[in-house]
Amino acid sequence: MADLTEVLTPPRHRVERRAMGWWALRTAATTAVAGGVLLAGYLLITPWRPWTGPALLVVLGLGLAHLLVTPPWRYAVHRWEVTDEAVYVRTGWFVREWRIAPLSRVQTVDTVRGPVQQALGLATVTVTTASAAGPVTLVGLDQHTARRVAGELSAITARTRGDAT
Amino acid sequence: MSGWARLDPRVIWVDLARMALSLVPLFATTVLFGGELTGSVLWPAAIIAVTGVLASVGDLLRWVKTRYRITDELLEVRTGLLVRSHRTIRRDRIRSVEATAKLRHRLAGLRVVTIRAGDRTATGEVASLRLDAVSAPTAEELQTELPAGSRTATPAAGQVPGETVLATFRWQWLPYNAFTVWALLSAAGLGWGAHWLGGMVGLDLFGSVLEAARRSPLPLAPTITLAVLIAGALGVVAVGVAFVAEQWQFRLVRADTPTGTVLRTSHGLFRTRRVDRDDGRLRGVELRRPLLWRWTTATETSVVSTGLGAAGMLAGGATVLPKAPAADARRVAEQILGDPAPLRAPLTRHPLAALRRRLGWAVALGAALTGLAWWLGRVTALPERLWLAGGVLVPVALGLALLAYRSLGHALVGPHLVTSAGLNRTTVVLRRGAVIGVTLRQSVLQRRLGLVTLRATTAAGQGSYAAPDLATADGVALADATVPGLLTPYRAVPATVGGVLAADVTR
Repeated sequence: MADLTEVLTPPRHRVERRAMGWWALRTAATTAVAGGVLLAGYLLITPWRPWTGPALLVVLGLGLAHLLVTPPWRYAVHRWEVTDEAVYVRTGWFVREWRIAPLSRVQTVDTVRGPVQQALGLATVTVTTASAAGPVTLVGLDQHTARRVAGELSAITARTRGDAT
Repeated sequence: MSGWARLDPRVIWVDLARMALSLVPLFATTVLFGGELTGSVLWPAAIIAVTGVLASVGDLLRWVKTRYRITDELLEVRTGLLVRSHRTIRRDRIRSVEATAKLRHRLAGLRVVTIRAGDRTATGEVASLRLDAVSAPTAEELQTELPAGSRTATPAAGQVPGETVLATFRWQWLPYNAFTVWALLSAAGLGWGAHWLGGMVGLDLFGSVLEAARRSPLPLAPTITLAVLIAGALGVVAVGVAFVAEQWQFRLVRADTPTGTVLRTSHGLFRTRRVDRDDGRLRGVELRRPLLWRWTTATETSVVSTGLGAAGMLAGGATVLPKAPAADARRVAEQILGDPAPLRAPLTRHPLAALRRRLGWAVALGAALTGLAWWLGRVTALPERLWLAGGVLVPVALGLALLAYRSLGHALVGPHLVTSAGLNRTTVVLRRGAVIGVTLRQSVLQRRLGLVTLRATTAAGQGSYAAPDLATADGVALADATVPGLLTPYRAVPATVGGVLAADVTR
C-alpha cells in the first residue's frame, strides 16, 4: 500500500486534452520571458557573460524539459468530480494533491478564462471556501462544461445558509 | 449610539504635543550643543523632526475628515481627504475588538480601537477597521457592545460582569522571554543609539570603546568573546525590561458579555492593550515549543479562531499567553478548550518511513551544501578546506531530522483533531466541525515510501493545518473520520484501518 490510488478512488473526469496545450504554452511563455531577459543581458553586458551564458543555457534547458515532461504528466494526474455533496479534484505532477471540500462550505464559484484559455476553448472553475489556504480550482475544463458545472455549483451552494465557516 | 460621531478631540492635543516633541532633538543639537554640527548628527535629528511634523499634520487632517457610525446592523467609517473612503463592517461578522494605547494615548485618556471581521478582502486579508483614537470610556463601550452584534442594552452601570481568570503575570516567565536571539540585535540597536546620543554632545563612543579594547591586556579572541558576552548581557536586560513593560499586569480572563463569552487579554505598562476574542469564533488552540528552548519546556500559546488570520497572528491577536513553562501553557490551553482530553491523549506516532524521508533530506541537503562549499573553495578566495565543514553539517542535519520525526503525531479525541509536527514542535488542537475541506498531498518520493500528508483546511487561523507523512491508508482513514463521510464514497476499503476508527459514518 503505497499509492493513494490503491485506497482512494480518483475523481471521475479527466480534463480536456487541449489543456496540455495550455500548460505547454504557459511554460513556453515563462521560459521566453526569463530567457529573453537573460539574452538581453548576455548581449548588452559583456563582462557578465561568463555568468549569463551558462544561466541562459540552464533556463532554456529547464524550460524545454518542463515543456516536454509536465503537460502529459499533468494530463495523467489531473481529474475532477462534482457531486451533490462535494467538489473533488486531483492536481499536480511530481507532487499530487487530492482536494475535497463539502459543498456546504463553499462560499463563491467563479469561472475564469484567460486569453490563451479562450483561444483553446478552455476555462477554470474556482471554488472558494472560507479558508485562507486558497480555492479549489478545476483547471482545463471545456468552456461549456465549466459554465454548466459553475451553474450547478452555484445553485447547490445558494441553497445552503450560513457563512460557511 | 446612532448619528455620525467624530474621533475624540484630544487627538489634536496629542498630535500637537507629538509635533513639539519631534522638534526637540533638532532644537537640542542646534541650540543647546551648538558646536559640532556634523552631518551624521544633524541628519537623523532633521529626519525625526520632518517625519514627526508630517505625521502630526497628517493625523490632524485625518481627525478632521473621519466620522464613524454604529447602526443596528453596521459599523461605518468615513475618512480621507484626497481619497475618500466609506467602509462598512456588518456587526454580526465582527470577530474581535481590540483596544491599544501607546503612552501618549494613555496620558490623554485615549484608546485606539481595532475591529476585525470574519470576511476577507480581495487580497485575502481579514477585513478590519481602526478608530484612532477614541476616549477610554468610549473604547470600553465599543468593546462591550460590538462583538457578536449585540442588540441588547449594555449591562447597567456598576454591575460587574462575571469573569474567570485563566492566567495572570508571573515573574517566572521573565527568563523564558528575555533570553532570545533578539537580545544581541537589541544590544546593537542600543549601542548605536548611545553612540548617536553621544555624538550629539560631542562624544565618540565607538572610538573610546575601540581604544579601550586596544589597550586591553587580553589577547584578541578573549577580548572579542568578552565584548560579545557584555553586549549579550545588556541585550538580555533590555529585552527583559521590554517584556516586563509590555506584559505588565498581564491577565487572561474568560469574561461574560451580553451575548456570550469572550477570551480577554489585557496587559502593558506604558502601552496598554486589551483584546476581546469572541468565544463563538474559537476553533482550537496551538502550542509551539521552539527548538532552541525545548530543554526549558518554553511554550507559546495561541488560539485558532476565525477572523484572526495570518495577519492577525502576526499582530499578536491570536497569542493569548507569552512564552511560559509547558505546565502553565498546557493548563491555560486546557481551560480555553474547556476539555483537558485533547492535550492529554497519547498521539499516534507516524511510520518509520517518515523518519527515512527526513534523514534522506538531511543527507541530500548536507551533501549539496558540502558540494557548494567545495566548489566555492576552488573558484573563489574562500579557504579551500571549507567543504570539511560538511563533516559537522551532515550529523547536525541528521540530528535535526530525528528531532523533526519525534515531533510527528496525530490523534482524534472526541470532537477534536490533534496534530503535532515541525522542528518547533507545534501542536494544534482543531475542532473537527471547523474543518471545511481536506487535502491529501503525495509527492513521487512520498508515494515510494507509502506516505501522505494530510492538510485539514479551515476558516480559522492559518487556513490549513497539516499532519505530515502519515501511512497512506491511515491518512485516508483519518481524513474520513475527521469529516465523517466526506471521503467514504471514494474509499476502496471502507473499514477500520491502522487503528483509526472511521467514526460515526452516517451515510
